[in-house]
Amino acid sequence: MTVADYFLPRSLPEALELLREHGPSLLVMAGGTVTMPLINEGISLPRQVMGLRFAGLDGLEPVDGGLRIGATVTLTGLLRQRHVPMLAQAARRTASWSIRNMGTVGGNLFTPPPGGDVAVALLALDAQVEVRSRDASRTLPLSEFQTGFMTTALEPGELVTGIGVPAVAGETAYLKFGRKEANTPSVVTVAVRVRREEDRVVDARVALGAVGPHALRASRAEAILVGSSLDPGAIDEAAEAAAAECDPFDDGVASAWYRRAMVRLFVRRALEGLAQPVAVEGR
Amino acid sequence: MASRIVSFELCGREVEVLVKPMTTLQFVLRNQLGYTGTKEGCRQGGCGSCTVLVDGEPMMSCLLPVEDVAGRRVTTIEGITPVEGLAPIQQAFVDTNAFQCGYCTPGMVMLTTALLDHNPAPSREEAVEALGGNVCRCTGYAPIIDAIEAASASATGDATRDAGVMPDRSGER
Repeated sequence: MTVADYFLPRSLPEALELLREHGPSLLVMAGGTVTMPLINEGISLPRQVMGLRFAGLDGLEPVDGGLRIGATVTLTGLLRQRHVPMLAQAARRTASWSIRNMGTVGGNLFTPPPGGDVAVALLALDAQVEVRSRDASRTLPLSEFQTGFMTTALEPGELVTGIGVPAVAGETAYLKFGRKEANTPSVVTVAVRVRREEDRVVDARVALGAVGPHALRASRAEAILVGSSLDPGAIDEAAEAAAAECDPFDDGVASAWYRRAMVRLFVRRALEGLAQPVAVEGR
Repeated sequence: MASRIVSFELCGREVEVLVKPMTTLQFVLRNQLGYTGTKEGCRQGGCGSCTVLVDGEPMMSCLLPVEDVAGRRVTTIEGITPVEGLAPIQQAFVDTNAFQCGYCTPGMVMLTTALLDHNPAPSREEAVEALGGNVCRCTGYAPIIDAIEAASASATGDATRDAGVMPDRSGER
Protein backbone atom coordinates (compact mmCIF):
# COMPACT_ATOMS: atom_id res chain seq x y z
CA MET A 1 0.00 0.00 0.00
CA THR A 2 1.46 3.32 -0.98
CA VAL A 3 0.76 6.84 0.20
CA ALA A 4 -2.48 8.06 -1.37
CA ASP A 5 -2.26 11.72 -0.42
CA TYR A 6 0.68 13.94 0.42
CA PHE A 7 -0.42 17.37 1.55
CA LEU A 8 1.97 20.31 1.68
CA PRO A 9 0.08 23.16 3.34
CA ARG A 10 1.40 26.65 2.65
CA SER A 11 0.26 28.18 5.93
CA LEU A 12 -0.58 27.26 9.51
CA PRO A 13 -4.36 27.72 9.07
CA GLU A 14 -4.25 25.42 6.06
CA ALA A 15 -2.33 22.80 8.07
CA LEU A 16 -4.76 22.99 10.99
CA GLU A 17 -7.74 22.68 8.65
CA LEU A 18 -6.22 19.55 7.07
CA LEU A 19 -5.66 18.07 10.53
CA ARG A 20 -9.26 18.75 11.53
CA GLU A 21 -10.59 17.35 8.28
CA HIS A 22 -8.57 14.12 8.20
CA GLY A 23 -8.23 13.35 11.89
CA PRO A 24 -5.63 11.18 13.56
CA SER A 25 -5.05 9.05 10.44
CA LEU A 26 -3.15 11.98 8.92
CA LEU A 27 0.56 11.42 9.60
CA VAL A 28 2.35 14.71 10.26
CA MET A 29 5.92 14.95 9.01
CA ALA A 30 8.39 17.82 9.29
CA GLY A 31 11.99 17.11 8.21
CA GLY A 32 11.29 13.47 7.38
CA THR A 33 14.44 12.14 8.99
CA VAL A 34 12.47 9.79 11.27
CA THR A 35 9.39 9.19 9.15
CA MET A 36 10.95 8.61 5.74
CA PRO A 37 13.20 5.71 6.81
CA LEU A 38 10.11 3.95 8.18
CA ILE A 39 8.19 4.57 4.96
CA ASN A 40 11.17 3.54 2.80
CA GLU A 41 11.39 0.24 4.66
CA GLY A 42 7.65 -0.39 4.60
CA ILE A 43 7.50 -0.33 8.41
CA SER A 44 5.15 2.63 8.33
CA LEU A 45 2.42 2.50 5.69
CA PRO A 46 0.49 5.75 6.02
CA ARG A 47 -2.29 6.50 3.53
CA GLN A 48 -2.24 10.23 4.17
CA VAL A 49 0.72 12.38 5.10
CA MET A 50 1.06 16.10 5.73
CA GLY A 51 4.50 17.64 5.22
CA LEU A 52 5.24 20.87 7.08
CA ARG A 53 8.21 22.13 5.05
CA PHE A 54 6.25 25.02 3.51
CA ALA A 55 3.83 25.73 6.37
CA GLY A 56 5.74 28.80 7.56
CA LEU A 57 6.64 27.49 11.01
CA ASP A 58 10.37 28.10 10.69
CA GLY A 59 10.83 31.42 12.50
CA LEU A 60 13.34 31.78 15.33
CA GLU A 61 13.40 34.94 17.42
CA PRO A 62 14.47 36.15 20.87
CA VAL A 63 11.47 36.87 23.09
CA ASP A 64 11.66 38.49 26.55
CA GLY A 65 15.23 37.36 27.13
CA GLY A 66 14.34 33.85 26.00
CA LEU A 67 13.90 32.29 22.60
CA ARG A 68 10.94 31.22 20.51
CA ILE A 69 11.77 28.42 18.11
CA GLY A 70 9.31 27.62 15.33
CA ALA A 71 8.47 23.93 15.11
CA THR A 72 10.18 23.46 11.75
CA VAL A 73 13.38 25.37 12.49
CA THR A 74 16.04 22.92 11.37
CA LEU A 75 18.74 21.59 13.65
CA THR A 76 21.17 23.60 11.51
CA GLY A 77 19.13 26.70 12.37
CA LEU A 78 19.38 25.80 16.04
CA LEU A 79 23.13 25.25 15.72
CA ARG A 80 23.65 28.67 14.15
CA GLN A 81 21.69 30.70 16.72
CA ARG A 82 23.75 32.41 19.40
CA HIS A 83 21.07 33.12 22.02
CA VAL A 84 21.18 29.82 23.91
CA PRO A 85 24.60 28.17 23.64
CA MET A 86 23.49 24.83 25.12
CA LEU A 87 20.94 24.41 22.33
CA ALA A 88 23.61 25.04 19.70
CA GLN A 89 25.80 22.50 21.46
CA ALA A 90 23.00 19.92 21.52
CA ALA A 91 22.24 20.48 17.83
CA ARG A 92 25.90 20.13 16.93
CA ARG A 93 26.07 16.70 18.57
CA THR A 94 22.89 15.52 16.86
CA ALA A 95 23.08 13.48 13.64
CA SER A 96 25.14 14.82 10.73
CA TRP A 97 25.28 17.98 8.64
CA SER A 98 22.88 16.73 5.93
CA ILE A 99 20.44 15.39 8.52
CA ARG A 100 20.61 18.62 10.53
CA ASN A 101 19.69 20.48 7.33
CA MET A 102 16.47 18.44 7.25
CA GLY A 103 15.52 17.44 10.80
CA THR A 104 13.56 19.96 12.85
CA VAL A 105 13.41 21.03 16.48
CA GLY A 106 9.69 20.23 16.67
CA GLY A 107 10.28 16.83 15.11
CA ASN A 108 12.98 16.09 17.67
CA LEU A 109 10.28 16.09 20.39
CA PHE A 110 8.70 13.10 18.61
CA THR A 111 11.95 11.22 17.98
CA PRO A 112 12.08 8.04 20.05
CA PRO A 113 15.11 7.22 22.20
CA PRO A 114 18.00 6.76 21.75
CA GLY A 115 17.34 9.75 19.49
CA GLY A 116 15.72 13.01 20.52
CA ASP A 117 18.77 14.58 22.17
CA VAL A 118 17.72 18.18 21.62
CA ALA A 119 14.68 17.57 23.80
CA VAL A 120 17.04 16.74 26.68
CA ALA A 121 18.64 20.19 26.48
CA LEU A 122 15.20 21.80 26.10
CA LEU A 123 13.99 19.96 29.20
CA ALA A 124 16.84 21.37 31.29
CA LEU A 125 15.86 24.84 30.05
CA ASP A 126 12.19 24.51 31.14
CA ALA A 127 11.01 24.67 27.53
CA GLN A 128 7.32 25.14 26.80
CA VAL A 129 5.58 23.51 23.86
CA GLU A 130 3.15 25.64 21.86
CA VAL A 131 0.22 23.65 20.54
CA ARG A 132 -2.51 24.82 18.17
CA SER A 133 -5.65 23.34 16.79
CA ARG A 134 -8.05 25.04 14.38
CA ASP A 135 -10.10 26.44 17.24
CA ALA A 136 -7.77 26.65 20.22
CA SER A 137 -4.21 27.07 21.38
CA ARG A 138 -2.39 26.08 24.53
CA THR A 139 1.10 25.90 25.95
CA LEU A 140 2.39 23.10 28.12
CA PRO A 141 5.75 22.29 29.68
CA LEU A 142 7.90 19.86 27.70
CA SER A 143 8.05 17.73 30.87
CA GLU A 144 4.30 17.11 30.42
CA PHE A 145 4.35 16.91 26.63
CA GLN A 146 6.27 13.67 26.27
CA THR A 147 4.17 11.00 27.98
CA GLY A 148 5.68 7.68 26.93
CA PHE A 149 7.56 5.83 24.22
CA MET A 150 6.49 7.69 21.05
CA THR A 151 3.42 9.10 22.80
CA THR A 152 2.67 12.73 23.62
CA ALA A 153 -0.05 14.84 25.20
CA LEU A 154 -1.21 16.02 21.76
CA GLU A 155 -4.96 15.73 21.20
CA PRO A 156 -6.45 14.91 17.80
CA GLY A 157 -6.40 18.00 15.62
CA GLU A 158 -3.50 19.58 17.49
CA LEU A 159 -0.17 20.53 16.00
CA VAL A 160 3.08 21.63 17.66
CA THR A 161 3.76 25.08 16.25
CA GLY A 162 6.76 26.14 18.31
CA ILE A 163 8.91 25.76 21.39
CA GLY A 164 9.44 28.52 23.90
CA VAL A 165 12.64 28.69 25.91
CA PRO A 166 12.18 31.09 28.84
CA ALA A 167 14.89 33.39 30.13
CA VAL A 168 16.25 30.95 32.66
CA ALA A 169 19.19 31.71 34.87
CA GLY A 170 22.09 29.49 35.80
CA GLU A 171 25.04 27.67 34.35
CA THR A 172 24.52 24.73 32.02
CA ALA A 173 26.39 21.68 30.84
CA TYR A 174 25.47 19.30 28.04
CA LEU A 175 27.18 15.96 27.53
CA LYS A 176 26.24 13.36 24.96
CA PHE A 177 27.96 10.02 25.09
CA GLY A 178 27.74 7.79 22.02
CA ARG A 179 29.74 4.93 20.56
CA LYS A 180 31.53 7.31 18.20
CA GLU A 181 32.11 11.03 17.93
CA ALA A 182 29.60 12.04 15.28
CA ASN A 183 26.28 10.93 13.84
CA THR A 184 25.69 8.44 16.59
CA PRO A 185 22.76 7.35 18.72
CA SER A 186 23.15 8.15 22.37
CA VAL A 187 24.25 5.79 25.13
CA VAL A 188 23.22 8.58 27.45
CA THR A 189 22.67 12.31 27.06
CA VAL A 190 22.87 14.59 30.09
CA ALA A 191 21.83 18.24 30.29
CA VAL A 192 22.15 20.04 33.61
CA ARG A 193 21.37 23.57 34.72
CA VAL A 194 22.29 24.89 38.12
CA ARG A 195 21.55 28.31 39.57
CA ARG A 196 23.63 29.37 42.55
CA GLU A 197 23.28 32.23 44.99
CA GLU A 198 26.36 32.91 47.02
CA ASP A 199 27.74 29.40 47.20
CA ARG A 200 24.46 27.51 47.42
CA VAL A 201 22.47 25.87 44.66
CA VAL A 202 18.99 27.40 44.66
CA ASP A 203 17.63 25.68 41.55
CA ALA A 204 18.74 22.60 39.62
CA ARG A 205 17.70 20.65 36.54
CA VAL A 206 19.10 17.26 35.63
CA ALA A 207 17.68 16.04 32.31
CA LEU A 208 18.53 12.63 30.87
CA GLY A 209 18.13 11.15 27.40
CA ALA A 210 18.27 7.58 26.04
CA VAL A 211 17.62 6.14 29.48
CA GLY A 212 13.83 6.04 29.47
CA PRO A 213 10.83 6.08 27.14
CA HIS A 214 11.45 9.80 26.49
CA ALA A 215 13.67 12.62 27.78
CA LEU A 216 13.19 12.77 31.53
CA ARG A 217 14.16 14.76 34.58
CA ALA A 218 16.00 13.13 37.46
CA SER A 219 13.98 14.87 40.15
CA ARG A 220 15.62 13.12 43.10
CA ALA A 221 19.03 14.17 41.86
CA GLU A 222 17.74 17.73 41.46
CA ALA A 223 16.42 17.74 45.04
CA ILE A 224 19.79 16.57 46.36
CA LEU A 225 21.60 19.39 44.56
CA VAL A 226 19.35 22.18 45.83
CA GLY A 227 20.84 23.59 49.01
CA SER A 228 24.23 22.00 48.40
CA SER A 229 27.39 23.85 47.42
CA LEU A 230 28.04 21.45 44.51
CA ASP A 231 30.57 19.76 46.75
CA PRO A 232 31.94 16.33 45.76
CA GLY A 233 29.66 14.59 48.25
CA ALA A 234 26.50 16.17 46.85
CA ILE A 235 27.65 15.49 43.29
CA ASP A 236 28.26 11.81 44.06
CA GLU A 237 24.91 11.50 45.75
CA ALA A 238 23.08 13.23 42.88
CA ALA A 239 24.84 11.06 40.28
CA GLU A 240 23.88 7.96 42.24
CA ALA A 241 20.27 9.13 42.53
CA ALA A 242 20.04 9.88 38.78
CA ALA A 243 21.38 6.40 37.98
CA ALA A 244 18.83 4.85 40.33
CA GLU A 245 15.79 6.78 39.11
CA CYS A 246 16.29 6.55 35.34
CA ASP A 247 14.68 3.74 33.36
CA PRO A 248 17.24 2.53 30.82
CA PHE A 249 16.69 -0.08 28.11
CA ASP A 250 18.74 -2.59 26.12
CA ASP A 251 19.26 -1.96 22.42
CA GLY A 252 21.93 -2.33 19.77
CA VAL A 253 23.79 0.68 21.17
CA ALA A 254 24.14 -0.33 24.81
CA SER A 255 22.70 -2.51 27.54
CA ALA A 256 20.48 -1.09 30.26
CA TRP A 257 23.19 -1.96 32.79
CA TYR A 258 25.82 0.01 30.86
CA ARG A 259 23.50 2.95 30.31
CA ARG A 260 22.81 3.18 34.04
CA ALA A 261 26.54 3.12 34.80
CA MET A 262 27.10 5.87 32.23
CA VAL A 263 24.32 8.00 33.75
CA ARG A 264 26.23 7.90 37.03
CA LEU A 265 29.48 8.86 35.29
CA PHE A 266 28.17 11.58 32.97
CA VAL A 267 25.92 13.27 35.53
CA ARG A 268 28.96 13.46 37.78
CA ARG A 269 31.15 14.85 34.98
CA ALA A 270 28.55 17.45 34.02
CA LEU A 271 28.18 18.64 37.60
CA GLU A 272 31.93 18.60 38.25
CA GLY A 273 32.35 20.84 35.21
CA LEU A 274 29.97 23.37 36.77
CA ALA A 275 31.56 23.08 40.22
CA GLN A 276 34.89 24.41 38.92
CA PRO A 277 35.59 27.80 40.52
CA VAL A 278 35.84 29.45 37.10
CA ALA A 279 32.55 29.39 35.21
CA VAL A 280 32.92 27.59 31.90
CA GLU A 281 30.25 29.53 30.05
CA GLY A 282 27.29 31.74 30.78
CA ARG A 283 24.39 29.51 30.00
CA MET B 1 -4.70 11.29 -5.05
CA ALA B 2 -3.52 10.84 -8.55
CA SER B 3 0.06 11.26 -9.59
CA ARG B 4 1.17 14.84 -9.86
CA ILE B 5 3.69 16.84 -11.81
CA VAL B 6 6.60 18.32 -9.87
CA SER B 7 9.08 20.71 -11.40
CA PHE B 8 12.42 21.79 -10.03
CA GLU B 9 15.84 22.93 -11.21
CA LEU B 10 18.26 20.06 -11.66
CA CYS B 11 21.89 20.94 -12.36
CA GLY B 12 20.89 24.16 -14.06
CA ARG B 13 17.99 22.78 -16.11
CA GLU B 14 14.29 22.90 -15.41
CA VAL B 15 12.91 19.38 -15.13
CA GLU B 16 9.37 18.10 -14.71
CA VAL B 17 8.44 14.68 -13.44
CA LEU B 18 5.17 12.84 -13.00
CA VAL B 19 5.26 11.09 -9.62
CA LYS B 20 3.13 9.14 -7.19
CA PRO B 21 2.79 10.85 -3.79
CA MET B 22 5.99 10.96 -1.70
CA THR B 23 8.30 9.44 -4.28
CA THR B 24 11.80 10.22 -3.04
CA LEU B 25 14.11 12.60 -4.86
CA GLN B 26 16.63 9.77 -4.98
CA PHE B 27 14.21 7.48 -6.83
CA VAL B 28 13.27 10.23 -9.26
CA LEU B 29 16.90 11.09 -9.98
CA ARG B 30 18.00 7.54 -10.64
CA ASN B 31 14.93 5.89 -12.14
CA GLN B 32 13.02 8.65 -13.87
CA LEU B 33 15.72 11.10 -14.91
CA GLY B 34 18.68 8.74 -15.40
CA TYR B 35 20.92 10.69 -13.02
CA THR B 36 22.52 7.56 -11.59
CA GLY B 37 25.51 9.33 -10.06
CA THR B 38 23.54 9.71 -6.84
CA LYS B 39 23.75 6.33 -5.13
CA GLU B 40 21.22 4.40 -3.14
CA GLY B 41 22.72 3.12 0.08
CA CYS B 42 20.78 2.58 3.27
CA ARG B 43 17.60 4.58 2.46
CA GLN B 44 17.66 5.54 6.15
CA GLY B 45 19.70 8.73 6.06
CA GLY B 46 22.52 6.85 7.73
CA CYS B 47 25.18 6.49 5.04
CA GLY B 48 25.32 9.69 2.98
CA SER B 49 25.79 7.97 -0.39
CA CYS B 50 22.68 9.76 -1.71
CA THR B 51 23.83 13.25 -0.66
CA VAL B 52 22.76 16.01 -3.05
CA LEU B 53 22.66 19.78 -2.67
CA VAL B 54 19.31 21.53 -2.34
CA ASP B 55 19.73 25.28 -2.78
CA GLY B 56 23.41 24.63 -2.11
CA GLU B 57 22.93 22.78 1.19
CA PRO B 58 23.68 19.05 1.55
CA MET B 59 20.67 16.82 2.13
CA MET B 60 19.91 13.12 1.93
CA SER B 61 17.88 12.56 -1.24
CA CYS B 62 16.54 9.25 0.13
CA LEU B 63 14.63 11.17 2.83
CA LEU B 64 13.19 13.88 0.60
CA PRO B 65 9.81 13.49 -1.05
CA VAL B 66 10.36 15.08 -4.46
CA GLU B 67 7.37 17.35 -3.81
CA ASP B 68 9.50 19.01 -1.12
CA VAL B 69 12.02 20.25 -3.70
CA ALA B 70 9.41 21.73 -6.04
CA GLY B 71 10.76 25.04 -7.30
CA ARG B 72 14.11 24.51 -5.62
CA ARG B 73 17.61 24.07 -7.02
CA VAL B 74 19.01 20.53 -6.86
CA THR B 75 22.66 19.79 -7.67
CA THR B 76 24.01 16.27 -8.10
CA ILE B 77 27.43 14.89 -8.99
CA GLU B 78 26.47 15.24 -12.67
CA GLY B 79 26.00 18.96 -12.13
CA ILE B 80 29.50 19.62 -10.87
CA THR B 81 31.25 17.43 -13.46
CA PRO B 82 32.56 19.40 -16.46
CA VAL B 83 31.81 18.15 -19.98
CA GLU B 84 35.53 17.47 -20.39
CA GLY B 85 37.73 16.24 -17.55
CA LEU B 86 37.01 16.53 -13.86
CA ALA B 87 36.15 19.25 -11.37
CA PRO B 88 39.05 20.18 -9.05
CA ILE B 89 37.42 18.33 -6.15
CA GLN B 90 37.02 15.19 -8.26
CA GLN B 91 40.64 15.48 -9.44
CA ALA B 92 41.75 15.77 -5.81
CA PHE B 93 39.90 12.53 -4.98
CA VAL B 94 41.76 10.82 -7.84
CA ASP B 95 45.13 12.30 -6.86
CA THR B 96 44.89 11.17 -3.23
CA ASN B 97 43.35 7.74 -3.94
CA ALA B 98 40.31 8.80 -1.95
CA PHE B 99 38.18 5.88 -3.10
CA GLN B 100 38.40 2.19 -3.72
CA CYS B 101 34.97 0.79 -4.58
CA GLY B 102 33.69 4.31 -5.27
CA TYR B 103 30.17 3.82 -3.98
CA CYS B 104 30.40 6.58 -1.38
CA THR B 105 32.31 8.94 -3.68
CA PRO B 106 29.47 10.95 -5.24
CA GLY B 107 28.10 11.68 -1.76
CA MET B 108 31.57 12.53 -0.46
CA VAL B 109 32.23 14.83 -3.41
CA MET B 110 28.90 16.63 -2.99
CA LEU B 111 29.50 17.06 0.73
CA THR B 112 33.00 18.40 -0.03
CA THR B 113 31.52 20.79 -2.59
CA ALA B 114 29.21 22.23 0.06
CA LEU B 115 31.96 22.29 2.67
CA LEU B 116 34.40 24.27 0.52
CA ASP B 117 31.57 26.56 -0.49
CA HIS B 118 30.94 27.40 3.18
CA ASN B 119 34.55 27.21 4.32
CA PRO B 120 37.19 27.43 1.56
CA ALA B 121 40.04 26.34 3.84
CA PRO B 122 38.71 23.89 6.44
CA SER B 123 41.02 22.38 9.02
CA ARG B 124 41.28 18.57 9.12
CA GLU B 125 39.06 18.63 12.19
CA GLU B 126 36.42 20.69 10.40
CA ALA B 127 36.59 18.34 7.41
CA VAL B 128 36.17 15.31 9.68
CA GLU B 129 33.21 16.92 11.40
CA ALA B 130 31.56 17.83 8.09
CA LEU B 131 31.90 14.25 6.82
CA GLY B 132 30.37 12.77 9.99
CA GLY B 133 27.28 11.51 8.17
CA ASN B 134 29.01 10.00 5.13
CA VAL B 135 30.18 6.43 5.47
CA CYS B 136 33.09 4.89 3.55
CA ARG B 137 33.84 1.21 4.15
CA CYS B 138 37.05 1.06 2.07
CA THR B 139 39.44 3.91 2.67
CA GLY B 140 39.50 4.53 6.40
CA TYR B 141 38.67 8.16 5.57
CA ALA B 142 42.21 9.57 5.79
CA PRO B 143 42.65 9.82 1.98
CA ILE B 144 39.24 11.52 1.74
CA ILE B 145 40.33 14.14 4.24
CA ASP B 146 43.55 14.47 2.20
CA ALA B 147 41.40 15.04 -0.88
CA ILE B 148 39.48 17.81 0.86
CA GLU B 149 42.76 19.48 1.84
CA ALA B 150 44.11 19.09 -1.68
CA ALA B 151 40.94 20.48 -3.25
CA SER B 152 41.00 23.38 -0.83
CA ALA B 153 44.65 24.04 -1.65
CA SER B 154 44.07 23.99 -5.40
CA ALA B 155 41.12 26.37 -5.02
CA THR B 156 42.86 28.77 -2.65
CA GLY B 157 46.29 28.50 -4.30
CA ASP B 158 47.99 27.27 -1.13
CA ALA B 159 51.11 25.48 -2.34
CA THR B 160 51.91 24.07 1.08
CA ARG B 161 48.78 21.93 0.80
CA ASP B 162 49.82 20.43 -2.54
CA ALA B 163 47.79 17.40 -3.56
CA GLY B 164 50.88 15.61 -4.85
CA VAL B 165 52.56 15.46 -1.47
CA MET B 166 51.18 12.69 0.70
CA PRO B 167 51.13 14.03 4.23
CA ASP B 168 52.96 12.22 6.99
CA ARG B 169 50.32 10.45 9.03
CA SER B 170 52.69 8.30 11.05
CA GLY B 171 51.67 10.09 14.24
CA GLU B 172 47.95 9.44 13.79
CA ARG B 173 46.01 6.47 14.97
